[in-house]
Amino acid sequence: MKITKKAKREAKQLYRFCLLKGLLDENRARQVVQRVVATGERDCLPILTHFLRLVKLDRAQHTATVESATLLPADLQTKVQTELAHRYGLGLTTAFAQRTELIGGMRIQVGCDVYDGSVRAGLEALKKSF
Amino acid sequence: MSPFILLAATQSDGQIAQIARTFGVDWQHLGAQIISFSIVCAVLYKFAYRRILVMLEQRRQQIAMGIANAEKIKAELDKTESQRLEVIAQAHTQGARFIEEARAAAARVQQEETKKAIAAAEQIMKKAYEAAAQDHDRMLAELKREVGNLVVQATTTVTGKILTAEDQRRLAEETSKQIAV
Repeated sequence: MKITKKAKREAKQLYRFCLLKGLLDENRARQVVQRVVATGERDCLPILTHFLRLVKLDRAQHTATVESATLLPADLQTKVQTELAHRYGLGLTTAFAQRTELIGGMRIQVGCDVYDGSVRAGLEALKKSF
Repeated sequence: MSPFILLAATQSDGQIAQIARTFGVDWQHLGAQIISFSIVCAVLYKFAYRRILVMLEQRRQQIAMGIANAEKIKAELDKTESQRLEVIAQAHTQGARFIEEARAAAARVQQEETKKAIAAAEQIMKKAYEAAAQDHDRMLAELKREVGNLVVQATTTVTGKILTAEDQRRLAEETSKQIAV
C-alpha cells in the first residue's frame, strides 16, 4: 500500500490534534480513529496506517524500558523513575524487566536512547576490542 | 719476224726502234692497249677498287672499334672486378661490424633480461614476505580474537556467580547516574 504525501500530511495533522500539552491523549486518538473509519473515505487506510506509525513512535519515545539482571529494589526503581522523569519530562511510562543474560547492571532504553551499564555490554565491548 | 728484218730496222730507225721491231712491238696496238688498259683501270678503280677500299676501311674501322671496345670492356671488367673486390671487402667489414653489434646487443639484452629476472625474483620475494607478514598478522588477530572470546566466555560464566546483591545495586546505580549526567 502506497501512502501518499497528502495522507501523511493529514495523518500528521490528526496526530497533532491528539496531543494535549505535548502528550498523546489516548481518548482523543481513539476518537480520531473512530471518526476517520466512520467517514469511510478512500484514503482512510493509508492515513490510519501512518497515524498508527506516528502513535507507535510517540509511545516509544515516551516509554522507558529498564532491564536488569536481578529485579531492582523499590527505592532504586523510584530513583530511576525520578531521574527519567527529570530528563524526559512527565508522561513517560516506565517498565521494569528482569534479564539474567545481562549478568549484572542495568540497561535503560527510551526511544532511540540507550543507557547500557550491564556487564554483558561491557563484555561485548571487550570482545569487539579483540 | 726474221733476224734480217730486225737488223734492217736497227740500222734505219735507231736502237729502240730496232729493239721494238725485234720484239714485235706495234706502236699503234700498244697505244690502243694502253688506253684501253687505262680505261679498264679507271673503271675498275671507280666501280670495284674504291668500294673494296671503302669496305676495307669500314672493316678496318670496325676492327679498330672492336679492339677499342674490347679494351674498354677489359677496362670495365677490371673496374668491375676492383669494385667487386671493394664491395666484398666492404661487405666483409660491414658483416664483421654487424656481428660485433649483434654480439653487443645480445650481451645487452642478456644483461637487461638478467636484471629483469633479478627484479622479478626480488618482487616475488617481497610479495612472499608481505603475504607471510599478512598471514602472521591475520593469525595473530585470530588468536587474539579467540583468546578474547575465551576470556569473555570465562568471565561471563564466572561473573554471574560472583556478583552479589550489593554489586548488582552498585552497577544499577552507576547506570542510573548516566541518566542524570
